[in-house]
Amino acid sequence: MSGVAAQTGLDIREVEQFLYREARLADEHDYDGWEALWTDDALYWVPAGGDDTDPERQMSVIYDNRNRIATRIKQLKTGKRYAQSPPSNLRRLISNVEIVTVEGTDTVVGANFLVVESRERGTTMWAGRTTYRLRRAGDDIRLAYKKVVLVDSAQALFTLAFLI
Amino acid sequence: MTVQYSELIQPERVHGSLYTDQDIFAEELQRIWYRTWVCVGHVSEVARPGDYVRKKVASQDVIMTRSKDGEVSLLLNRCAHRGNLVCEDQRGNSSTFRCPYHGWTYRNTGEMLGYPYNQGYGGKGKLSLGLGRVPRVDTYQGFVFASFAADGPSLKEHLGAAAGELDRLARLSPEGEIELTAGWLQHRAKANWKLLVENETDGYHPQFVHGSVFSVTGSHIGTLYSDKSTAVTRDLGGGHSENDLRPEFRKMEPMNWFGTSEARVPDYVAKMRALHGEQAEEILIEGAPHVMVFPNLFVAEISVFMINPVAVDETVQNVTAVQLKGAPEMNRRLLSQCIGSVGPAGMLLADDSEMYERNQRGVTARVPEWLDIRRGAHRERVDENGFRIGAANDETGMRGFWSHYRSLMEGEAQ
Amino acid sequence: MNQWIIASEFAEVAVSLDLDANGPRLRLEDLRSGHVRHLDALELESIAWAPDERLRELIDPSAGRWSDRADDADGA
Ligand code: FES
Ligand SMILES: [Fe+2]
Repeated sequence: MSGVAAQTGLDIREVEQFLYREARLADEHDYDGWEALWTDDALYWVPAGGDDTDPERQMSVIYDNRNRIATRIKQLKTGKRYAQSPPSNLRRLISNVEIVTVEGTDTVVGANFLVVESRERGTTMWAGRTTYRLRRAGDDIRLAYKKVVLVDSAQALFTLAFLI
Repeated sequence: MTVQYSELIQPERVHGSLYTDQDIFAEELQRIWYRTWVCVGHVSEVARPGDYVRKKVASQDVIMTRSKDGEVSLLLNRCAHRGNLVCEDQRGNSSTFRCPYHGWTYRNTGEMLGYPYNQGYGGKGKLSLGLGRVPRVDTYQGFVFASFAADGPSLKEHLGAAAGELDRLARLSPEGEIELTAGWLQHRAKANWKLLVENETDGYHPQFVHGSVFSVTGSHIGTLYSDKSTAVTRDLGGGHSENDLRPEFRKMEPMNWFGTSEARVPDYVAKMRALHGEQAEEILIEGAPHVMVFPNLFVAEISVFMINPVAVDETVQNVTAVQLKGAPEMNRRLLSQCIGSVGPAGMLLADDSEMYERNQRGVTARVPEWLDIRRGAHRERVDENGFRIGAANDETGMRGFWSHYRSLMEGEAQ
Repeated sequence: MNQWIIASEFAEVAVSLDLDANGPRLRLEDLRSGHVRHLDALELESIAWAPDERLRELIDPSAGRWSDRADDADGA
């Protein structure tokens, strides 16, 4: 597939800019800004124990529909979500961005990431591959789906309460 | 060094070194983790002959297997030749295990089956070596327990009154069986294992630590542990304890214990009524237990936790959703609610885990040396069955834990 | 050719139905060595009926593949 997802008009530069923005909002705990990126049929999934589990039958680290994303954000915003209060210091790198395919109105994008998280416990590295489904909404792009497969998904994980 | 546990563990306070001292941790492995009954998994994880899964008992790498004749074994993952790991995959199906190093081959009951180029050992069947077996394995309501001590109290004796709580969990299934088939989240915390156990029994913290999620979801859980709650904390003996929420649930409608209503799970409720007749009301109203089974099994209504110590200041908490055999309608909800609540990103457990870790850092401070466990001691009473009970947010469960812990740590070493 | 792969951490075998002979046979290929064996209907029936101990004898590494006897060792 070339750099342009023809039917939807999302080109790779636009896609990258969106991913970088999403990453920055998450890193900087801009919860409202981050939540506003999602579509109404959103799905935010962090599988455990590999990338081919069935989330309807098996445990996941996160398996949020739009409603639960909203709850998660509200909880963070109380200031008493202790696992993120004080918030972790975060910076993440997004790379290897590829437009994988186009399905209907959605452009499916893959990218690698590396997050460095610093909090009092210590510094933790989180790495993996994310699959995004992006959808054009007027002049904007919206996020319909984000699946984050950690390289450590089969290992014991420290608390992961920031937006990955 | 001989630790005087009677000095470190007093009726109303315990010493900070219990959470930080390497020697005490080493002694705990010998006197608790490699001796008493420790929960390692559930038979439903190895449902078919040949199934195996890897497990941990403290640092011990264990393979849980099911043989052709249905027997569940716990084998040590260590080849009898030179000690290599025999199994590398976390799960699989094989009647036999072949060590990748030199090809020694074992049945999934641990018995030696053969080795390559057998003339080097004088021929076939010359070696009577096999995989190590956990000396005692027993199950209760499908939970598989291991004891590394060749003798000692039976599992039944160990569980004592806690067995009834596991029965209460199983009876929620229309087929009388739970299954732990949803896989495990493994949540790592830089904290001593006892901080996790104590937190599981602690009805004092939910309103504080979990206030954030209760406020945004309108959950009723906070009130179950409030000062007005009629729920009780019960020391079940043997280090086990429960937060008995039934007095509160009994004021509610069926299925309210699960934050839902009959109308939402009609097939399940109908099945239970058909099966249990009048007794169904009690089951559907009282719901699931909230019980800490010494030293590492915690059932919090819909979630099952198994705690595994890694180091004096590091613990892995494994957690999965309760699945009720014969209740698909419930199972989807149980899984979804469990995922939202527990594990590294869970809206409840991530905050608990944050507290375990802060607690661990806190107890390294040199003074005041002690952790206080006296809450509610003055209002403790004995219930009609002879168990000590306290208010919903009293530290009765913790005191029960420590008294059993002390008896194991002071008793004869094995 | 319809083929299944039966794999564990201990072995990987491709199983397929071979229709090239005068009658059907099951073709087994050890994917780690390329070694192939065909099993006809009666052989399969016998395996289905073989007592477990007989099967275990076959799994003994010294029973064939890694035997000291030169005539049936494969030298793997
Ligand atoms: S160590 Fe297992 S066969 Fe040698
Ligand atoms: Fe808690």
